[in-house]
Amino acid sequence: MVLVKLEKAKLACHWTWNTKDETCGICQMPFDGCCPDCKIPGDDCPIVWGPCEHSFHLHCILKWLNSRQHCPLCRREWHFN
Amino acid sequence: MLKLFSLKQKKQSSQEEQQTTTDKKPTSNKTTAAELRLQKDISELDTGKTLSVYFPDKNNIVEFIVYCKPDEGIYKNGCFAFRFKIPPTYPHDPPKVKCETKVFHPNIDEEGNVCLNILREDWKPILSLNAILYGIQYLFLEPNPDDPLNKEAANLYRENKAAFYAQVQRSMRENGAYSSRQGF
Repeated sequence: MVLVKLEKAKLACHWTWNTKDETCGICQMPFDGCCPDCKIPGDDCPIVWGPCEHSFHLHCILKWLNSRQHCPLCRREWHFN
Repeated sequence: MLKLFSLKQKKQSSQEEQQTTTDKKPTSNKTTAAELRLQKDISELDTGKTLSVYFPDKNNIVEFIVYCKPDEGIYKNGCFAFRFKIPPTYPHDPPKVKCETKVFHPNIDEEGNVCLNILREDWKPILSLNAILYGIQYLFLEPNPDDPLNKEAANLYRENKAAFYAQVQRSMRENGAYSSRQGF
């Protein structure tokens, strides 16, 4: 039996948001990127879903919700799922 | 989830405070969120042969003119200029659109205000410039006398299509809307 001692390893991983669409309907930026106000995608610029299963960047939908309380795609009442 | 939001917001506001104290440089040449979105809209413009877009100032994409040249309907062969101004809050607020060619139309008034639902109450940020262009083209094909800005035009359109058509022709001749000067 040969024992191999692992001394160094470089791990890489890939993540993606599990969304139906590839881009945010509001800013038209990809979900795997961030909204135009942010610099780093990921937890600092999260994606949120409404009951209609439409998704947007959190920052984008928050701005829209200041004026209306419905989904900008289908007009169903919006709350955060 | 909501608690998480407020936490994030707190974090952000403290970050913003730090930022405002550290860099007070004006960031005028930085592309804004509105411009970023607008660039995408412009690259996806679907103008065909009835529309053309003109930027008077090449360095300023938030103000431009769209020429609409209907190829059918009552306004066939006319050429109507619309000035678009994109607000810094785009796409959360709609573009401001004014018609710069005088036209006898139920939904366009003397000052060039355009009555199109998606330019006002029905605007949604998922709509794009293309949606507005389709809307404007549709206005020329199907004027809507039930929501008029020019009541005289609306009444005539409802009551006497032939007289309305004649009046449209006259106003287009008088206001020079019949032309190919825009060189499509």
